[in-house]
Amino acid sequence: MDRGPFVFGIRHLSPAGAYYVREFLDKIQPELVLIEGPSDFTELMEDLAQADVRPPVAVMAYTRQLPVRTILYPFAEYSPEYQALLWAKEHGRKCRFCDLPSDVFLGLLSAREAAGDEETGSQGRDGHKKTPECSFDVYQALDRQCGDGDHETFWERTIEQCRDMAGYQKGAKEFGSGLRQLELCLGPGEENSENLAREAYMRRMIEKARTEGISEEKMAVITGAFHAEGILCGDPAMTDKEFLRLPRLESMKTLMPYSYYRLSQRSGYGAGNHAPAYYEYLWQGFLKGEADYAARRYLSGLGEYERTSGGMVSAAEVMEALRLSQALAGLRGGRIPALRDLRDGAVTCMGHGRFSKVSLAVASVEIGTKIGSLPQGVSQTSIQSDFYEKLRELRLEKYKSVTASSLNLDLRENLRVKTKKAAFMDLERSFFLHRLRVLNIRFGTLELVRQDNATWAERWVLQWTPETEIRLVETVLKGDTLEQAAAFELKGKVEESQGIGMVAKVVAEAFYCGMPLAVHGALAALQAMAVDAAALGEIGDTIEQLSVVLQYGDIRRLDRQPLIPIVSQLFLRACLILPQECACDDQAAAGLVSAIGKLHQAVMVHDFLDRERFVAVLSQISSRDDLNTRLSGAAASILLEMGAMDSQELGREVERRLSKGIPAQLGAGWFSGLSSRNHYALIARLTLWEKLSAYLDTLDDEEFKRALLFLRRAFADFAPGEKDQIAENLGEIWQVNPMQVSEMLNESLTEDAMEFLGGLEDFDFGDI
Amino acid sequence: MSDANVQRLPAEQLFQKELDALMEQETGAVPQGWRMSPKSVLTYICGGRCGNMDISAKYIGDRRLVEIAIATLVTDRALLLIGEPGTAKSWLSEHLAAAINGDSTRVIQGTAGTTEEQIKYSWNYAMLIASGPSREAMIPSPVYRAMEQGTIARVEEISRCASEVQDALISILSEKRISVPELGIEVPARKGFSVIATANTRDKGVNEMSAALKRRFNIVVLPAPESLEAEMEIVRSRITQLSENLDLNAKLPNEEVVEKVCTIFRELRRGATLDGKQKLKSTSGVLSTAEAISLLANSMALAGSFGDGTVTERDLAAGLQGAVVKEDSKDQKVWLEYLENIMRKRGSKWLPLYEECKELNR
Repeated sequence: MDRGPFVFGIRHLSPAGAYYVREFLDKIQPELVLIEGPSDFTELMEDLAQADVRPPVAVMAYTRQLPVRTILYPFAEYSPEYQALLWAKEHGRKCRFCDLPSDVFLGLLSAREAAGDEETGSQGRDGHKKTPECSFDVYQALDRQCGDGDHETFWERTIEQCRDMAGYQKGAKEFGSGLRQLELCLGPGEENSENLAREAYMRRMIEKARTEGISEEKMAVITGAFHAEGILCGDPAMTDKEFLRLPRLESMKTLMPYSYYRLSQRSGYGAGNHAPAYYEYLWQGFLKGEADYAARRYLSGLGEYERTSGGMVSAAEVMEALRLSQALAGLRGGRIPALRDLRDGAVTCMGHGRFSKVSLAVASVEIGTKIGSLPQGVSQTSIQSDFYEKLRELRLEKYKSVTASSLNLDLRENLRVKTKKAAFMDLERSFFLHRLRVLNIRFGTLELVRQDNATWAERWVLQWTPETEIRLVETVLKGDTLEQAAAFELKGKVEESQGIGMVAKVVAEAFYCGMPLAVHGALAALQAMAVDAAALGEIGDTIEQLSVVLQYGDIRRLDRQPLIPIVSQLFLRACLILPQECACDDQAAAGLVSAIGKLHQAVMVHDFLDRERFVAVLSQISSRDDLNTRLSGAAASILLEMGAMDSQELGREVERRLSKGIPAQLGAGWFSGLSSRNHYALIARLTLWEKLSAYLDTLDDEEFKRALLFLRRAFADFAPGEKDQIAENLGEIWQVNPMQVSEMLNESLTEDAMEFLGGLEDFDFGDI
Repeated sequence: MSDANVQRLPAEQLFQKELDALMEQETGAVPQGWRMSPKSVLTYICGGRCGNMDISAKYIGDRRLVEIAIATLVTDRALLLIGEPGTAKSWLSEHLAAAINGDSTRVIQGTAGTTEEQIKYSWNYAMLIASGPSREAMIPSPVYRAMEQGTIARVEEISRCASEVQDALISILSEKRISVPELGIEVPARKGFSVIATANTRDKGVNEMSAALKRRFNIVVLPAPESLEAEMEIVRSRITQLSENLDLNAKLPNEEVVEKVCTIFRELRRGATLDGKQKLKSTSGVLSTAEAISLLANSMALAGSFGDGTVTERDLAAGLQGAVVKEDSKDQKVWLEYLENIMRKRGSKWLPLYEECKELNR
């Protein structure tokens, strides 16, 4: 055997590599196993190698400053690195990661991003485009060259299906050195210099181990096939000076569960893996010593999926698919079908030639829904621990799954249970989920509930993804627990807020999250801002938001007292400025109508608001002639609803607003304001229609034409059913059959009438 | 062996040189009953090199589909090729049989009138009456002969056969034997026997294939050519072959003409312009690649017989009119709309063709 260190070139996420790496280590029995991966991750090895860690898991490093940058190192059970690590633990040997530390990786990452920005910037100035040579992709070239669909299939056939260790090593070596030559001859790219730096560092780690007294024959290095040559090339190791010169970003690291789905997305580190669940079958095949285990398992998996989801796939078809895929592999000179052969066999025999028939089954069997798990107390950030603690406490653990499931919450106290904790379980769950929502950690999505009991019911759809975990870890910068982080987030939002409307939103959020302190903090800010607030629209929004909190605060067990003075204060201000604001154009009027509506709503539900003042203000608006008539109409309609205007008064108002000499436009505006809020309230008032009828009687022909125009406009948005009821009213007044009137009202216009109205339109516009 | 007076030679004679070269250079393992290894069959169909000879591509399209088809025949399963009319189903089936057995002539053409006897065997009734049932009086069907010899039989347009005829195939494909009760014999299929059937997706519902029969086939769906370039390539290579065979006395249509025909066909087939920016109506008939080929051959014949031997816009317009407007009066409206909305606005290159087409619709 030649002298060490012994380098075993692998491909990340390679079942064959994982299997042979153990054989390799058994053979050379090293004292020290060096594994590609950031060297500062070595301290997490103990945790990673624990017996109840269930891969896929990932090590994540993240920066301590914003913007948070992360790097991820996922491990599946069939990762050669993971198996090497387990081997070292089982045999009590030393084991270290030997790649550049994560802070350097993050430093390089941000340096590259900065350079990328600059590059695109200069590109814009010079108008130059990247030369096509630069964008040459080795893997794309390989896809074209191998004539077998893609390089993944090529890799599977040539290296993954090796039946002995020497073959695998030789294949990986050839592949790695070929790739290396290609990359290096493409010129000094940034990626290249980074690769060289990494290899120099790995040599440095070997050097370091040697000074510790471990002889080279007792060292094994498990690294990507690409780097194998670089480690053995005999170039000097990285010196202290060089090491210190590398860019750095202070980093933290943590372990997190990972999912096959995410692994299949090719994101993060390494080559990715397009069919993680299938690769696990390959791994199991190695353990069982059955070369075609994966093929059989895969195809029967497809058949099973089809059958359970209602498709007809017989055992005979599964067997035919297997035979066909073996024949396809035979065309390539192999014996064991690769994934591509299996898939084509399945499409032909189970899908009857159509991929669409088996596509769902293929996705499910190739990718799978597996997610990893970590035992309690394994190195986690404080906020991760808090998250999992809460999940357990709130019995939400079963929702930690990649398939979405829904959860209905009843926020009321559950009187049938003994402990207080259990009684408010759902409420606590709601707080928890709202906090996650505020922190933008995607775990639960709130569904809209449209029921009468919506105040105490919530419906969430829960789905866990590794992104949830990543966001969670990123959140650690904001606080040690979810509650702290949420409070920090809300505080930040208050500080960023431009107006009281936005602060009110934060108040509402804090209220949903069940965080009284944050509510008070936001309220204080709100009060300060409210002194010199602002437009009526904004006040309306604010009052609406706070009003919800006041109304339903009880269900979330929140002390609502501090809100009352603020709402009263804002309400008073609104009443004071309302009349003068009402002198505006039609566009602004639309916003004001909704603001007035919100104020009205608040008055109706909260006793502490000054109802009389509101009525007085509205009466003023209703009776004044110098304001926007639409708003006057709207004010009148609210007064009607509140019972502050009687029929007589309404009649007077109708006559006044629609009397001779008033331009049709203004009359129409008033009427549409009156009718905009509540059609039924109007319809129910017979006096209104009597007055209207009487008014029409007083008009001569010319005036009638004019009035016809605005009335038509005002009634345009009444529904046919409502028109029916109007017809009933008119029928009663005119003593005719309501049916006939209704028919006339709802009838579409004849051509003559259309023409007449069209002429009217012309006439009127000329006149005004 | 080849006879110059034959209108259409079978594939194995047309490409005899290529087949001989492939057999001579054979290095791979040859399955029982085959003349060459599966790899050589693939080379024959998809093109490539053999020694110092270029093998022309017979099927231009997804190579993987051909691989699946060949692998199916290796596993002694029957192969069913389905697709729109004119997607080279019969073409592929003929060449597969030619390469594997050197004989693509054992064909049953499926029609509404196909009987069970044509699938199994029938009798020379004069002999049957004269001397009773005997081997000599029996007329074996192509499938029967293929079983005896361990070769491939072809069934064209299987979905056009009545269902009892289709069912007769089931027992042959699963038992792999034919019994002749009249003679008290049973003929087992020798190794290498298989069936290649073709079916048309447009004929769906004429005689829906039973699930039992479908299950005995591996099904490969042949798509319409993927890109304009691929379709032009197919048209060009077939036109060249045809004009040699048919002595059309006309020059081959130039690139531009082929491109125009393929563009029009693809656009009307898809119901959208090639760049996908404009939607248009598609015709009731299928405008297949095969039709584009016969259209051009037709135009060449017109040019050769009545013109100066160069395909003109006028020859093309006549062909197009016939191909696009089949029986439906709707098709004519579709065609006129296409002329006015798309072709007219394509610029000077298309203008002469537009004028000629419009002339015909006046």
